[in-house]
Amino acid sequence: MWIQLHTYRRFPFWTLPLAVGIVVMFLPYLGASRGMLRLIISIALLSMLVVGLNIAFGFAGELALGQVAIYSAGAYCTGYFAVEGLGLPVTFMVAVLAAIALGIITGVPGLRLASWSLGMVTFFMVLLVPDIVQLLSPFTGGSAGLAGIPPPSLFGHDFDTESLYILVIAVTIVVIALLRNYIVSRHGTALKVIKQSPDLARSLGYSVPRMKLTAYVISAFPAGAAGCLFAYDHSVVTPESFSFSLTVAILAASIIGGSSSIYGAVFGATVMVIGPLRAGVFQEFALVFFGLLLVVGGLFLTNGAANLLDKAFRRIFVKNDLMPDVREALQNPKTLPQLTGCRLRVSGLNKNFNGNQALKNVHFVAEPGQIIALIGPNGSGKTTLLNAISGFVRPDSGEIRVGDSPLTRLSAHHIARRGVARTFQTPLIPRGLTVAEVVASARYRSEATSVISGMLTLPDTRGAIRRDRDTAISLLSVMGVVELADVLADDLPLGTRRIVEVARALASSPSLLLLDEPASGLDEVEVHVLADVVRRLRDAGATIVIVEHNFEMITSVADRIDVLHLGHVIASGSANQVRNNPAVIESYLGRAARQRAENDRGSDRSWNPR
Amino acid sequence: MTTLWAGLVVGAIYALVAVGYNIVYIASGVFNFAQAQFVMVGAFTASVAATTIGLPLWAAIIGAAIVGGIIGALEEILAIRWLRGRGAHNELVTTLGVATLLSGLALAIWGSLPRPLGYFENARVLDLLGGRVVVTDLLTIVAVITVTIIVGQVSNRTMLGLASLATSEDREAGALRGINAGAMTVGAFVIAGGLVAALGPLIASKTYVIYNVGDLLAVKAFVALAVGGIGSYRGALLGGLGVGVVEIFAARYLGTAWQNIAIFVLLLLILMFIPKGLFARRVARAI
Repeated sequence: MWIQLHTYRRFPFWTLPLAVGIVVMFLPYLGASRGMLRLIISIALLSMLVVGLNIAFGFAGELALGQVAIYSAGAYCTGYFAVEGLGLPVTFMVAVLAAIALGIITGVPGLRLASWSLGMVTFFMVLLVPDIVQLLSPFTGGSAGLAGIPPPSLFGHDFDTESLYILVIAVTIVVIALLRNYIVSRHGTALKVIKQSPDLARSLGYSVPRMKLTAYVISAFPAGAAGCLFAYDHSVVTPESFSFSLTVAILAASIIGGSSSIYGAVFGATVMVIGPLRAGVFQEFALVFFGLLLVVGGLFLTNGAANLLDKAFRRIFVKNDLMPDVREALQNPKTLPQLTGCRLRVSGLNKNFNGNQALKNVHFVAEPGQIIALIGPNGSGKTTLLNAISGFVRPDSGEIRVGDSPLTRLSAHHIARRGVARTFQTPLIPRGLTVAEVVASARYRSEATSVISGMLTLPDTRGAIRRDRDTAISLLSVMGVVELADVLADDLPLGTRRIVEVARALASSPSLLLLDEPASGLDEVEVHVLADVVRRLRDAGATIVIVEHNFEMITSVADRIDVLHLGHVIASGSANQVRNNPAVIESYLGRAARQRAENDRGSDRSWNPR
Repeated sequence: MTTLWAGLVVGAIYALVAVGYNIVYIASGVFNFAQAQFVMVGAFTASVAATTIGLPLWAAIIGAAIVGGIIGALEEILAIRWLRGRGAHNELVTTLGVATLLSGLALAIWGSLPRPLGYFENARVLDLLGGRVVVTDLLTIVAVITVTIIVGQVSNRTMLGLASLATSEDREAGALRGINAGAMTVGAFVIAGGLVAALGPLIASKTYVIYNVGDLLAVKAFVALAVGGIGSYRGALLGGLGVGVVEIFAARYLGTAWQNIAIFVLLLLILMFIPKGLFARRVARAI
């Protein structure tokens, strides 16, 4: 039995977990036992903690170990205010706000250093829970605990055991649904880009620290909500409930279910609650067991159960045919829209790396509708120049302008937002994304939608997702690779990946396109295809700067060639002019070669540097 | 002055673990969450050596170093090596797993109560520079400073240290220059594990021999590293001593409930305002 790809894509799979959730929610009326309900409450609370970790770790790539501390903050806030007689809406709000506040306090400093500093900061936060509970013992009850928490009340209705259970499950369903929407909206793809290549993310105009902080704060909010429900469910809050081993258990559950999945969190939580967390017998071996689980899971379960399931399902049931819009694009190939390139003007640019003068007073202009090639021996400053224009290297002095806006001191993502798009020497194609998603990832900033809109799938998010797809399909059609739109991009051969990178660079409608050695590693046919694409971009009005070693390709596309040597532009002109320039010959091959070339020219033979 | 001495001892312990973090990080780019557990490994090894076998102190220290080195090697071979080249941050998970496993094993074997160490039981107290300090504590400070200086010199002056630095900058380039990057990495785990475990017995005279001694030590040594700048041995030493002094003074003047919180606040402030630390030497990298 095969399912068509577009049926698979369009099928509302979310209805299945939702249906399961609703059935679980009404279990009290289906005759489930008290013990059963207690078990499910534990699973639901742990699921929320795990799903939060998955957002931070699985998607944003930041190991946030502080779920337990945030959980405790939610629980203590709720407990305190409930004892003071406040109702559920207030306590819930306070718990969530406390979670967000803790997220910001630890996230802002924690995200400033390498990837494990947030892990350490948040781990420390968990170890501080007993100290803080002790310090605030007038509010928390110290080590004796905060007892006598009344059942929640909402608009005059007091919850009993059954309705409290329903409340817990309902909140869990809503939280998971919101996070699921956040991930399947464009933010999930953007997080995958950030996690795998911050450089690529910046070149696409993403503000990496801000997005990581947002993801981390979002990951804190389920823990706060779970803490609130925990306080009501247990009616007493003691510091022992928020131990280090719970931290490890959350991480283990995340890895079992798959850190980069949403529903996997529920699966992992279920396994942990039914298995190790319930079996009191091996309490003293719990740490050993969790430790082994982390080592083995970290080594082998990179994708977890959820992703394995999804992959297996796709392989067995889904037919790899083309989506309708792809078929449409194959029948009526799209043409390149008019591009509005801007003038690039680089003047007096200098850059010194610890005494190595990589750029020396570089002047350089590129006009719309022109292809400018930068060549030069290795170490001549070509890539440094490209990096300086796109903001990855900050020049010491000089000026860079695109159109009317100066870019000189801006950081990479601001430069990208002003219309500078680039490709990379080694194509940066994140794993786990389809070709269409890779191309569309460049539109995340140029048509930005908010996180809230993503969580609620508001019309603007839906519209943006539709336009992402349309843009990707039409650009891929222009590039002649539209039939690959729905395959995983990182599996493709190098030449195709370079084409995909060019399509991605175009998706944000840039005013300047920088290509960093696009032909390296390609065979002759692929170079041909690429050269053709680049020429068509120029004819559509783009401003293109291309760094390249392949002289043949350059002569076939470039309107002007600038030669860099030791950070200087030593020659500029057509392929022929450059080829016969004595300074160029000397820089490539040394003085002896120049003399030989001159002798050769004396005997009326032309010389070719390659 | 007595408080200052107490701070320096605690700080020396953090500095030692921070040096361990650095050795591994410089050679392999991995942050070894489990590094602090090697203090516990050394302490338990010594405790067993003293109470069960009855070995003299020097033998116990050598034993601790050997056990630490072996566990370090096992950690690298079993939990780190297979992850290389996969890109994800999974070594964070596996090293945390190793840390949990080690303290879990200690808990399962020896229980949750502190064990007697068996050495340094009647250490003398000295009056030094206007403060009182136990001889073993003074020994800890001196030992850590010596170890840090030696490691720092080896790292900066010898081929071994430079090779290790080269592999951390660019693993492939290092390999092409004939550096055995794999051996380099195991070596770093072994040396870091052995060094930290060797001083475990000395440290345990201060901290008790208990299964969870590594947990807070891990984060506080990280604070030392953040203060001093990741990758810098001088930074690890001064950062560690500084953190220890801040902690003990906070405990003395604000109350013991504040000592960990003070360090946490210090960490947040450092990350916020001097994220590179005081002695950072890593340069910015472009594409």
